[in-house]
Amino acid sequence: MIRLACLLALVALVIAVIVAIRPTGPNAILFSFVGVPALGAGVLVYGIKRWREGALSSDPAWNRDST
Amino acid sequence: MIAVVLATIARDAWAAADGATPLFSWPTEHRGLDWLQILPIVAAIPAAAILLVGIVRGRLLPAVAIAGIVFLPVAAYALGMLLIMEDSKTVSFCGSCHVMTPIVASLQKEGDSLAATHFQRGLVSHEQACFTCHSGYGIWGTLDAKLAGVRHMLKTATRSYTFPIEHHGPFDIDSCLNCHARAATFRAVDAHQDPDTQQALFKREMSCTGVCHVAAHPDEALNGPAS
Repeated sequence: MIRLACLLALVALVIAVIVAIRPTGPNAILFSFVGVPALGAGVLVYGIKRWREGALSSDPAWNRDST
Repeated sequence: MIAVVLATIARDAWAAADGATPLFSWPTEHRGLDWLQILPIVAAIPAAAILLVGIVRGRLLPAVAIAGIVFLPVAAYALGMLLIMEDSKTVSFCGSCHVMTPIVASLQKEGDSLAATHFQRGLVSHEQACFTCHSGYGIWGTLDAKLAGVRHMLKTATRSYTFPIEHHGPFDIDSCLNCHARAATFRAVDAHQDPDTQQALFKREMSCTGVCHVAAHPDEALNGPAS
């Protein structure tokens, strides 16, 4: 899951760099409709992974080095 | 690679927009590097390094993972969004989309359109001519323009536009009045002093173009690029 999250975030970052180098209309469309959802999905996948590991619970027995 | 990217941005920042000599391209929009372009890259590079390690190794320390997957990419996107918001005011940005290319090209041509007249006489900024006339007046005008920009992007992405392209709703003549209302030459025109005409304009029952003034853009430019 961490690989998927990293891959989605990396795709989003490549698009952000493309926009920064060439801020044009088509690149802005790519940024808004591909990059933002990819980044959102990456963060969501990572959040789910952490949640499944118990990172969001208040259980003190949670192992913080579980990733 | 970083050097190549920075050199590309620096070259663009220093280059005159239309290749004109310094006097004819003044004032330049950016002096030196355009930090709005550089900062998203500065945020993206360490994030990309972390993500590549994550992909190869399949695990990351929580603090590093949060930095690489959440904070740095979100920062890059926030800065990128700021760049797009600012850059979307430029004529070159509007003209970079297929549908708008002929309209932007028509600004440069000898013609009888209101936009070309304003552009060629230097009555609007050559950098932000589209935004100046289409954004309306004040902060709400800017907000409306940004919302219209999102609509344009959606229509372009889904190819749900039709030719000839038409203005969405009545044109906000506050954009015109922002410059013209206090001009003596504008006030001196009999038609502008007529109360009925003034009411019709304010109620948006009438526009500046169509009856009294020539169309804002030539008809052939509204039909998209010649295929």
